[in-house]
Amino acid sequence: MSTDTEGTGFLYPFIDAQERGPDSLLDDLAASAQSKVRESSALQRSTLTDCADLVTQAGTRMAERFAAGGRMYAFGNGGSSTDAATFAALFAQPLTGRPLPAINLAADQAVLTALGNDVGFELVFSRQIIAHSSNRDIAVAMSTSGSSADLMNALGEASRRGLLTIGFAGYDGGQMADASEVDICFVVKSQSIHRIQESQALLGYELWSTVQRHLSSGESAPTPARPTSPSQRDTP
Amino acid sequence: MSTQAIPADVQAVSGYAGLQPAPASVAGIPPDMLDGGLARDLSDASLALARRFHAGATMWCIAPQWEPHAHHMAVEFVHPVIVGKRALPAFALCAPDVVAQARVSVRPGDIVIAVAAADDRAVRDLMRRTPAWGGLSVWIGSGARPAAGSADHVLWIDDPNPLAPATGRFVIMYHLLWELTHVCFEHPGLLTPPVAECNDEVCVTCSDEGRLAEVILAPSTPFGDALVRTEAGEERIDVTMVAPVTPGDLVLIHAGSALTRLDPEMGR
Repeated sequence: MSTDTEGTGFLYPFIDAQERGPDSLLDDLAASAQSKVRESSALQRSTLTDCADLVTQAGTRMAERFAAGGRMYAFGNGGSSTDAATFAALFAQPLTGRPLPAINLAADQAVLTALGNDVGFELVFSRQIIAHSSNRDIAVAMSTSGSSADLMNALGEASRRGLLTIGFAGYDGGQMADASEVDICFVVKSQSIHRIQESQALLGYELWSTVQRHLSSGESAPTPARPTSPSQRDTP
Repeated sequence: MSTQAIPADVQAVSGYAGLQPAPASVAGIPPDMLDGGLARDLSDASLALARRFHAGATMWCIAPQWEPHAHHMAVEFVHPVIVGKRALPAFALCAPDVVAQARVSVRPGDIVIAVAAADDRAVRDLMRRTPAWGGLSVWIGSGARPAAGSADHVLWIDDPNPLAPATGRFVIMYHLLWELTHVCFEHPGLLTPPVAECNDEVCVTCSDEGRLAEVILAPSTPFGDALVRTEAGEERIDVTMVAPVTPGDLVLIHAGSALTRLDPEMGR
């Protein structure tokens, strides 16, 4: 390389970048990705530790409701809406364990657009709770802010109707963390929407595992259906 | 708050770090998930995505067994979580026949990205056809790996748990893909791939290399040409050596003729 080129190289960063090729960028990207994975992994583990008691409590109460014939409604906005759909699918179409009735409230574009257009987006989930739910059911809202109006409205409606209400939030929990309408709130303490969602996915998986274990152990069999003495049994 | 103790089997399966030192890889994202080459695979894929988007690509997202992942990938690129980042064209494809839906959607230069197990027949078929449509193929999955060369970019997680797709591992993969793609946009000098120079050894045009083509219309007469689709667009070719052909057949072509037909389960 001539001294002339070296002397003027700073004027042509574009050419310089071309000459160096993408290797240094690719190295930087790989290092950045590895650091983010370590961050997410650590957040998942600290979140599971922080929420261990809540997962047990929520899983037990959910299992009781499923055993009593209840169903679960899961909902969220944007990426969290898809995470709610994955969560619902894990319950309804599990590769192992007992399939349980779980529905993603954002799945039906006719219902979603009808409600959004006619009554306003902040009511797209609460109106469905009104239409579908019974007091044996479970409402699960997934959010990163913890304060979306459509989710808070639905949780409020669900609570008034006797549903078990569960919220997933990030940051400091937002409104979900303080609302009396939310029975159990999982807070992933992070400022990154991506990292929050990654930890919420694992929390959802743990919750599903806990429900499955309760149902397979028989501990959550509904009390009213269980014979209280041998004389009441009508089958051997 | 419940004070109920977590049963030992729960601890063993779910790895409550606060109660017993459980291996990080039980269900969650292991800190070393990207080791063993995956970090570089992810970086290469991100630069390839950025280059395609820079040139006007649309990204088509597919996840037949875990449809929400297709929607999550699409919304990630269309409506970024970080204010000020470019909205990029991306769609989820969820029709029952996803290959037919992709065939009519993908244009030359586009991106086809799938989240699926290696034995997903629809996705295998999709990945092998994508080059004939001029698409760049990216395949995210876990468990047994697809055969080498099954896609342009294979981002594979070493985790035998069939429920891994529901533990955040796939979510972090496409989150990182999005994050790194946007980092690449900050390096405009690298967004245009270097033009391949013609030399006698490797140039596709000058060599004997066959190009992949998908038959659109079979010949209407015994010695007529077939209309096929390649990464360069549509063209008419002679198919007498592989006749008869039917729409959807994949053939290798060279110098205006189909030389051989790829059977449905043959690799690329």
